[in-house]
Amino acid sequence: MSNQTIEEKSPTDLLAIEIAGIRFPNPIWTASGTCGYGLDMAELIDLDRLGAICTKGLSARPLRGNPPWRIVETHGGMLNAIGLQNIGARAFINEKLPLLRRYQARVIPNVFGYTIDEYIEAIRILEDGEGIAGYELNISCPNVKAGGESFANDPRQAAEVTAAVRRVSTRPVIVKLSPNVTSIAASALAVEAAGADALSLINTAIGMAVDVNTRRPRLANVTGGLSGPAIKPIAVRCVFQAARAVRIPIIGIGGIATIIDALEFIIAGASAVQVGTANFYDPTASMKIIDGLADYCRQHGLRSIGELVGTIRLDQ
Amino acid sequence: MIDLVGTVELNEITAAESGRRYGHLRLRVDHLPEVQPGQFAMLKACGAIEPLLRRAMAYYKVAATTDATRIEFIYQIIGRGTEALARLTPRDKVECLGPLGVAFDLGVAANREVVLVAGGAGSPALYLLAAALVEREIPTRLFLGGASRGDLCGLSDFRDLLGSNRVVTATMDGSEGWPGFVTAPLEDHLATTSGTPLIYACGPDPMLHRVARIAAERKVPAQLSLEAPMACGFGICVGCAVPVRADCQEGFVYQKVCTDGPVFWSHDLAW
Repeated sequence: MSNQTIEEKSPTDLLAIEIAGIRFPNPIWTASGTCGYGLDMAELIDLDRLGAICTKGLSARPLRGNPPWRIVETHGGMLNAIGLQNIGARAFINEKLPLLRRYQARVIPNVFGYTIDEYIEAIRILEDGEGIAGYELNISCPNVKAGGESFANDPRQAAEVTAAVRRVSTRPVIVKLSPNVTSIAASALAVEAAGADALSLINTAIGMAVDVNTRRPRLANVTGGLSGPAIKPIAVRCVFQAARAVRIPIIGIGGIATIIDALEFIIAGASAVQVGTANFYDPTASMKIIDGLADYCRQHGLRSIGELVGTIRLDQ
Repeated sequence: MIDLVGTVELNEITAAESGRRYGHLRLRVDHLPEVQPGQFAMLKACGAIEPLLRRAMAYYKVAATTDATRIEFIYQIIGRGTEALARLTPRDKVECLGPLGVAFDLGVAANREVVLVAGGAGSPALYLLAAALVEREIPTRLFLGGASRGDLCGLSDFRDLLGSNRVVTATMDGSEGWPGFVTAPLEDHLATTSGTPLIYACGPDPMLHRVARIAAERKVPAQLSLEAPMACGFGICVGCAVPVRADCQEGFVYQKVCTDGPVFWSHDLAW
């Protein structure tokens, strides 16, 4: 209804977005590894109001994960080395998906493997599931067939795994980029050229903490991924640089806990954002951000949140 | 579980002879779902940015009157999170997510003698349990240990509840009760008691390991309440992993202390 004033527009009219041909009720999603398989959040937030849920990373077969300690709090954030513990793609579509798809939030399984074949195997299993909007690829895993460096560390390997998944997937593929690279623009361009439908960034920044009494690393895995507000400026910079390099949509992630955080990412170039670590300490953060976004649109005369994407002003 | 805001009524800080410090926090809340003995809450001062994560704490007492519900916690001040809680003063607001976790299994206590074992800041997790056992008229004895007299958290409350002759204390500095570890009077008691008692325990990891070994040697069933670093408390961060025996090639899987526990049967743990 084009003759509606902005004040009359419902949050759905103001906040609905389309990414890779999929319509999302709003641009606020929950990030992989911070909302379980979605259902774990249902007691605390209204899953019908979320834009999408990116599930805990799924592999073709279940994984037991790392020994404890797995997490440690740092200033403004936390390190984790969970070791991608998960129930496996088959159990997800049999046990979780039928319940999860009853909600309005779009379901985006996050997928990983330690070889390209393992990614393909996981995607083939998930292709059997009904009610999946698209996939998010975690490419920050070590590629065990290429020296154990992360796929994300090398734009060519990142492109290779993207292209391989693109060939077997009938659904949109979002590639989740790592900040632990020399050039985020080079990574973004490589996976775009390989057929990625969208990018999500950033994954955690690799970090480490030491117990000064025992002189041991505070994580059993020695290093872990840093998340939370501490990494937000790095994430905003990465989104900004990636958005200038590619044409495909970008989903921003990294320390988003408030409406201001979400807006920063959108202005820097993100079409949607994911709330991550905040789900742990403020489980309703995503709901508060959704409420705040609609108010912001009305206050700033935006007919749709899409009008704000990438509008950062660089003029003097 | 619900995420509610509590108002501080009391936050009393005490220092033990050992140098350890404890806080006794009482919150007033409008409403709280029923808390089972052994369950916990995730706490943080309202609006605080640092530290980021809430802290897991077992409910010590829950009392509902017609006008309000009051919940109490006793915590050891050991890091940034508990230091921040220690700075709370009356009328401050606290975010409180709970009740969380699997409670102690009380059904198995019928027709047995119950032995509670607690060390340091672990004892508050056993108070609601002790009260429920007393209510069921189940004979209950507490073995309470700590570094010094001031580390025996909730001692006078437990004595009032169970009777002084049913609370056995032990301190490392000998300032109260048996000198040394609390597991010594526990073993002494188990050697002389008749029938098959049931153990419930909460305390530092080394104490729980020792209790698990004693329980296994004497074929006494034991439920242990564990502590682990956790970011969320409701199952999504998967940070609080504990190895639990399983019928698989490796012989164990990782379970979550927050939602699969914090209470586990001692014989299920693959420590």
